[in-house]
Amino acid sequence: MRAIPLLTLLLGGWFVVPAHADEAQDWLTRLGQAEQQQSFQGTFVYERNGSFSTHNIWHRVQEGKVHERLLQLDGSAQEVVRVDGHTQCVSGTLIAGLGDTPNSAARVIDPQKLKNWYDLAVIGKSRVAGRSAVIVSLTPRDQHRYGFELHLDKETGLPLKSLLLNDKGQLLERFQFTRLDTATVPSESDLQPGADCKAVNLESDKSSAVKAAQTWHSDWLPPGFELTSSSARKDPETKTQVSSLMYDDGLARFSVFLEPLNGAVVTDTRIQLGPTVAVSRRLTTAQGEMMVTVVGEIPIGTAERIALSMRADAATTKQ
Amino acid sequence: MSREALQESLSAVMDNEADELELRRVLNACDDVETRETWARYQIARAVMHKDLLLPRLDIAAAVSAALADEAVPVKVSRGPWRSLGRLAVAASVTLAVLAGVRLYNQDEIAGVELAQQSSQQSLVAPQVKGPAVLAGYNESSDATGPMANGVLQGQPGWHDQRLPGYLRQHAQQAALKGTESALPYARAASLENR
Repeated sequence: MRAIPLLTLLLGGWFVVPAHADEAQDWLTRLGQAEQQQSFQGTFVYERNGSFSTHNIWHRVQEGKVHERLLQLDGSAQEVVRVDGHTQCVSGTLIAGLGDTPNSAARVIDPQKLKNWYDLAVIGKSRVAGRSAVIVSLTPRDQHRYGFELHLDKETGLPLKSLLLNDKGQLLERFQFTRLDTATVPSESDLQPGADCKAVNLESDKSSAVKAAQTWHSDWLPPGFELTSSSARKDPETKTQVSSLMYDDGLARFSVFLEPLNGAVVTDTRIQLGPTVAVSRRLTTAQGEMMVTVVGEIPIGTAERIALSMRADAATTKQ
Repeated sequence: MSREALQESLSAVMDNEADELELRRVLNACDDVETRETWARYQIARAVMHKDLLLPRLDIAAAVSAALADEAVPVKVSRGPWRSLGRLAVAASVTLAVLAGVRLYNQDEIAGVELAQQSSQQSLVAPQVKGPAVLAGYNESSDATGPMANGVLQGQPGWHDQRLPGYLRQHAQQAALKGTESALPYARAASLENR
């Protein structure tokens, strides 16, 4: 008769666990939809190791078009205006390194895919910006990515708070709304860019972007990461051609930059800046010494391994 | 104690399956000649069963006991007070050396961290606010930064100074363009620009 309670427990567990996972999945689906369907405006703070900033956001969904304007409220007035995921204008320093590939439409969060690399769970309730929220945790299944804790608005599914945590549970960054208004749709004037917002000409960017950098591949990638874009562009200052590749697992992202050293003597480097890590490693190829730099929101050991795994494709090394 | 129980325990000890109590029981009965003979018989039986090499009548225990009995008891040395004082002095100096060493080592490490932080401030657009206060309730992760950035110090900082901020910016902005959670990568990118 001992089997009966055990059986109940097992069956209970069978029903409870998937229910939680499904619930988390539903919330993430709602999150993905909310950003495409919900108009809102609000103020949020962003904090990472040693840096704290406040921003305003206006987000309007009208006739299927998503207009969005972001403005930093302290320090320099960093500003971005986007329509349907395409950047219309950016202010000041934000423009400098922009290597936008024109087909970079925003990708929608896919819980089915995320489930393979993260354990999804609803772990509780909270209150953020005066609104009640559900806490969804995304715990990585391996050591190659960080964990997320998302506090999603109960009413709309919008992310009210997002924490990035490393394997020791240390907080790497915090994104948190302090005020969110989902009732008032942002007006046309709210979405008007400021005077300092310089228009982004995607066409000129396209021409400066040389053929995509398919001459590079990685012998090893952390499971789940896929190449989402690759480009090669000439750095206007150093006149060297830098190839860049971007990978993501549906949530976390990293970029790989490859640049010929042209005889410069440079040592390998590792830097961690809040959630973002940068690892540089020299690589000897048929064309000479290259510097491989991996930048992304991934653990430093993973970045290191990726940097060491980059290879030039044999067929194209003669170019 | 019954003979059978003792024999059972003996057997258990031989098979290496005796518990604490049985082992004690056997050890206590060890001086008894009959027990030792039983033990010897068991060993023979075991050796036969396992086809082991057997040296019959080899009683190491008896030989060791005899040797111990012959051994002269060492004379107890009387110790003067100076001797213990000497020991104390040695212990004290070792402690001092260890403390000094640790201190030096730590200073080394601290200096390293500071240098690393300075260099990361130069090479990257490190922000001015460096207080631990903002992360109340969480472990500050800045200490993880320190030793890792040491590579910057050893190399030519110039190259990385030029490249890394651009790389970081490009990554952040590309991420912002592809972002699903659109505001977060934007905020990351913006935070890189805060000098």
